[in-house]
Amino acid sequence: MDSALIYKLLFLLPLVTAGMIACLMRKKHTLAAVFSVISATVFSGLGLYLIFASERTAWSVSWLSLGGSEGRAFDLNFGVLFNDLSALMLLVLIIVGLLVQVFSLGYMKEDPSKARFFAGLSIFMFSMLGIVLADNLVMIFIFWELVGFSSYVLINHYFDKPAAVAASKKAFIVNRVGDFGFLLGIVFVYWQFGTFNLVELEAKAALSPGLLSTGMGLLLFCGVLGKSAQMPLHVWLPDAMEGPTPISALIHAATMVAAGIYFTARVYFLMTDEVLNVVMWIGTITALFAAIVAFGQNDIKKVLAFSTLSQLGYMVAALGLGRYAESTGHGVEAGLAVGAAVAMFHLTTHAFFKALLFLNSGSIIHACHHEQNIYKMGGLSGKMKLTFATFTIGVLAIGGFPFLAGFFSKDTILHLAHSASAHGGSSVPFYILLGTAALTGLYMGRLFVVTFFGKARSDHAAHAKESGPAMVIPLVILAVLSVIGGYTGIYGHSFDGVFHSIHMAEGSFKTLMIITGTLFSVGGIILAWLIWSPNKETDTLESGAPVLFKALGKRLYFDAVYDWYVEKVQDRVSLILSFLDQLFISGLMVRGTAGIVGLFGIISRSMHTGNLGGYAYWFAIGVLVLGAIAFGTITF
Amino acid sequence: MNNYSILLLSTILVPLVIAIILLGFGKLPKSVTQFLATLGFCFPALGALILWVNFVPTDASGYDYLMTLPTGLEALGITLKLGLNGISVPLFFLAGIVGLAAGIYAMQSGAERLQQYLMLILFMQAGLMGVFASVDIFFFYFFHELALIPTFICIGVWGGRDRHSAAMEMTIYLTLGAMLSLLGLLAIYFQSGAESFDIISLKAAVLASPIDGGAQTIIFGLLLFGFGILVSLFPFHSWAPRGYASAPTSVAMLHAGVLKKFGLYGFIQVALPLVPLGANHWSMVLAWLALGSVLIIGLITIAQRDLKEMVGFSSVMHMGYCFLGIACMSVLGSAGVIITMVAHGLTVALLFLLGHVVYKRTETYDMHDMGGLVKHAPALAALFSAAVFASIGLPGPGLLNFFGEFTVFTALWEFSRPITAIAVLGVIISAVYGLRAIGRIFFGSPSEVFEKHLKENSIKDISTAEKIPTLLLLITLVVIGLFPRMMTDNMNTSLEDNFLSINSELKQLAIEEPAKSALELAQSIEPSAK
Repeated sequence: MDSALIYKLLFLLPLVTAGMIACLMRKKHTLAAVFSVISATVFSGLGLYLIFASERTAWSVSWLSLGGSEGRAFDLNFGVLFNDLSALMLLVLIIVGLLVQVFSLGYMKEDPSKARFFAGLSIFMFSMLGIVLADNLVMIFIFWELVGFSSYVLINHYFDKPAAVAASKKAFIVNRVGDFGFLLGIVFVYWQFGTFNLVELEAKAALSPGLLSTGMGLLLFCGVLGKSAQMPLHVWLPDAMEGPTPISALIHAATMVAAGIYFTARVYFLMTDEVLNVVMWIGTITALFAAIVAFGQNDIKKVLAFSTLSQLGYMVAALGLGRYAESTGHGVEAGLAVGAAVAMFHLTTHAFFKALLFLNSGSIIHACHHEQNIYKMGGLSGKMKLTFATFTIGVLAIGGFPFLAGFFSKDTILHLAHSASAHGGSSVPFYILLGTAALTGLYMGRLFVVTFFGKARSDHAAHAKESGPAMVIPLVILAVLSVIGGYTGIYGHSFDGVFHSIHMAEGSFKTLMIITGTLFSVGGIILAWLIWSPNKETDTLESGAPVLFKALGKRLYFDAVYDWYVEKVQDRVSLILSFLDQLFISGLMVRGTAGIVGLFGIISRSMHTGNLGGYAYWFAIGVLVLGAIAFGTITF
Repeated sequence: MNNYSILLLSTILVPLVIAIILLGFGKLPKSVTQFLATLGFCFPALGALILWVNFVPTDASGYDYLMTLPTGLEALGITLKLGLNGISVPLFFLAGIVGLAAGIYAMQSGAERLQQYLMLILFMQAGLMGVFASVDIFFFYFFHELALIPTFICIGVWGGRDRHSAAMEMTIYLTLGAMLSLLGLLAIYFQSGAESFDIISLKAAVLASPIDGGAQTIIFGLLLFGFGILVSLFPFHSWAPRGYASAPTSVAMLHAGVLKKFGLYGFIQVALPLVPLGANHWSMVLAWLALGSVLIIGLITIAQRDLKEMVGFSSVMHMGYCFLGIACMSVLGSAGVIITMVAHGLTVALLFLLGHVVYKRTETYDMHDMGGLVKHAPALAALFSAAVFASIGLPGPGLLNFFGEFTVFTALWEFSRPITAIAVLGVIISAVYGLRAIGRIFFGSPSEVFEKHLKENSIKDISTAEKIPTLLLLITLVVIGLFPRMMTDNMNTSLEDNFLSINSELKQLAIEEPAKSALELAQSIEPSAK
C-alpha cells in the first residue's frame, strides 16, 4: 500500500470516528464504545504496517503560502516526516492507545457519558498523531494545541465536580503559558532560517550553526515545560488526575506529556549547548522535586502523577546530558543524537510501565467504588490477584529492578550522567538522579505496601473484587511489555535510527547498576514495609512530621503561589483596569463631553417623538437625499 | 460589463430594493415579509459565493468584474465603480455569509414591528455588500454610512438595557470617526491630483507622483484616528462593548462581524498603498496603541461578568492584532490582518448569536448567575465551546483564527521583537477569559439565581432554527481554515502588487533622506568654512 494513502487514512480514521460518534451515536453509548474500539484496532493495524513493513518516507501538501518580505517565502505545509524516531513514537501511541480503549470498555461501563468519552479519545488520537508525524514546526504547534484541547475535554469529563472543571482550565492555561514561548520560538526560527520544515532546518542548521541561538532554543523549550510538565510549569499535571483513570494512563502518563520529550528529540539539532545545560538542570531538579513530593500524597493517582513528573524529569535530564555524549557520526545517516535517543528509550519503557501502573490503579479504583485514598484501601493482594501481580511488575520496573524494562532505560540515563563528569560536566546531576532513583523505589514501595497489604481499611476495599477481562487483559499485555520492553532486540531493526545511538552501560558500571537497581527496587519495598507498616491506619510521616507532610501534601506551595498570583494580582489588575476604563475613558473622555452630547440630545429629541415612524421617516429622508445624489441619474 | 458584473451590482441592489419595498409599501402580510427578507439575505450570500468561486483577475489592476455606472457627478470625480480584487473578495463573501446568518436569526427573533426591523437590517446588508464591492472610495464611504445609520436606529429602538445612551454614545463616536475618515479620504483625492475617486486611478496617480511626505503624514493621521475610532482602537474603544451589549443580536453580529472591518479594510486597500510614507511615520504610534488594545483590553476582558460585554471587549482585543499587522507594513502583516478579519468576523458573529441563545435560556447575561447549563443543553454547550475556542485561536474550530494571528505575529517579529513578545501574551489572556466563560456558563453547579430559574422553567437544548445560522457560520469558518489557500492566494497577489509600489516609495524616501541630510550638512559646514 502507498504510504501517502496510509498517512491520510490514519489522520481521517479517528477524526471520522469522533465525528460519527458526535453526530450519530450521542445517545447510543455502547455502540459508540464498540465502534471506537473497532476504529482504534483498524488504526493500529494500519500504523503497525507503516512502522514495520513500509519505507520511511515524507509526504506533504501546501496548506498556506504567503509572500514574506524580500523574497522570503512563508510556506506552510501539511506534511509527514516519517523516520525511525516518529515510528517509535507512533508505536508507543498505538500500543497504549489501543489497550486503553479496550480497558475503557470495562472501566467506563456504567458511565452515563460514554459516547463523549470515546469521541474525546478519538480526537486525542488524531491530535497526537499529528504531533508524531508532522514535518514542520507550525503543524507540530497546531496539533500541540489540539492535544491540549483534547486533554481539556477529557479532564473535564466529570464536569459536575468543580475540581474537574478547575483542573481542566488550569491544564489548558498553564500549557498556553508554555506555548507563548513556543510560538515566539517558532517565529524566531522562521526569521533565522526562512523555513518551518524540519528536514530543511536540519540541513541549514548543520550548514550554518551560527544562526542558532540560546534564546531560540529556550523559547522552543518553553513549550516542553508546559506539555511535559517540567518545573515551574508542572502544576497542572497532578490536578489533571481529576480525569477518568484511562485518560490519566494514556494522555497524562504515556503519550501526551511525553510529547515534549519527543519534540525536543525531533528538533535536537536546534538546541545549543547552553540550552541543553538549562534543559539538563530543569529535568534533574524536576525529577528530584517530584520524587520528594510524592511522599506527601495519599491519593493513589496523585502518587503516580508525581512519579510521572519525576520520570519525565529523567527524560528531560537525558536530553540535556546529551551534550556531553560523544556523537555517533555525522549527517542524517548517523541517526539520532545520543541524548535524544536515550530520552526516547526511557520514554518508551516508561510508557509501558506507567500505563500499566495507571491502569492498575484504575482497576483498583473501579473495584473500590471510586475510592482513591490509599489509606482507605489495604489488603487487596489477596482479593485482586492479577492486578496485584501486574502492579508488582510495574513497581519493580519503575524501581529499576535488573533486566526489567525500566532498568535498561534508567541505566542508560545514569550512565550518560556519570560520563558527563568525564567530559567536563558537573557530577551533581548524576548524584541527584541516582538519589532520585532510590527515592523512587521508596515512594513506590510505600504505595505498594499500603495499598495491597495489611487489613482492608474501608468497606469498599473489604469487598473489592478482581476486574473483568476487558480490564485485566490490557494489564497483562502491558506487564509483559514492562518486562521485555527494555531489550531493543525485540523491535527488530525498525528503530535502528534511534536505538543505535544508545550507549549501553558496560563493564563495572553495569555491575554497579545491577546492584543499585536491586537495592533500590526490592530494598525500597522492604524499607517502605518497615517505615509505613501495612497495619498502620495513618501515614507514618503524617504522624511523625506533620509539618513536613503538610508541606509535601501542598506540593511545596508552588500551586499556592500561582493561585495567589491569579487571585491577588491578575484578577485585581483586571478589575482595576476595568474600573479605570469605566471611569476615565468611558466616563470622562466620552460622557464628559456632556455639552456636545446634550446638544445632540436636544436636537435629536426635537426631531423625533420617540416612535418608530419618526425614526423611519428621518432615515428614509436621509437615504432618499443621498440616493437622489448617487443614483438619480443612473440610466440603465 | 458582463453577467458577473451585473450579479455584483445585484448583490447590493436586491437587499436595497427589498428594504425599500418593506419601507414604502405599508404593512405587508407576514408571509410576504418573510419571503422577501429571505430573498434579500440569501441572494447576496449566494451571489458572493458565486463571485468568489469564479474570481479571476484578468485586468492589470488586479480587479475582476469591474463595472462603471454614471452618476452625474463625474465632474466631482464620483462614479459608481464596482469590482472585486484579491483583498476584497473574501471580505465581500464574509459580508454575505454573516448577513445571511444575522438575517435568518433576525427573522426568528420575534421582534416587535418585525417588518421595520428586517427593513433596516436589509439596508445594512446592502451597505455592507457595497463597502467591499466599491472601487470608488466615495462610494466606499457612502455604503459604510448606509449601513451605519440603520445600526444606530436599531440599537435605539430594539436595543436592550441602556439602549438610548448606548446608541447616542455610539452615534456621536462613530460619526466623529466617520468624519475624520471622510476628511482623510477627501484629502487623498485632492492631494493625489487624480481625476477621480476611483482607487485604480488614484493608485496610478500616486505611482506617477507620490503625495508630498508632509501631507501624507497629516492624511494618515486623520485616517488613523478616523478608522481607529471606527474599529475601536484603544483608547477609542469604549463605544464598542457598551454598544454591542445593548444592540439587538443580529445588529451586533453585523456590526462587529462585518461593518467594523471597514476601517481595517480602508487601511489595507486605501491608506497603505496611497499614503505609505504617512503610514510609515505613524506605524510606531499605531503599534503601541494596538498593544494597548491587546494587553489592557485583554485584561479588562477577564474582569467582565456580562457575557455580551465580554464578547465586545474580546472583539476590541482582536482588533488590536489587526492593527499590529497593519503597523508591520508588509505583505505578511496585511495578509494576517485579512485572515484575522474573516476569522474574527465569523467568530464574533457566532459568539453574539450563541450568547443570545444562552440568554434565552438563562434570561440573564451575567455569567455569575449561570452554571451547569451543559446538563440541560449539551449541544449548545458544544457549539458555544467551539465558538469560544475558535475565538481564542485554537487550531481546530479556530484554525483560520490561528493562521491569522500566527501570520501577524510572524510579520510583527520583523517589525519589533519586544512588541511581538508582548502581543503574544494575548494568547494566554484570551485563554483565561474564554475558559472562564465556558466554565461559568456551562459547568459546575448552577448559581442560586439560576437554580431558582431552573425550577420555574424547563430549559431546552439549542433548537434547529437556532442551529441553522450557527452551523452556517461555524462550518464556513472550519472549511476556510482547512483550505485557507482558496482565499489567500488571490489576496497575496493583490497585496504583493500593492507592496511593490509601497516599498519602492519607502526606498526612495530612504535614499532621499540621507541625501537631503548630507546636503544640509554640507550647507551647514560651508558658511563656517567660509
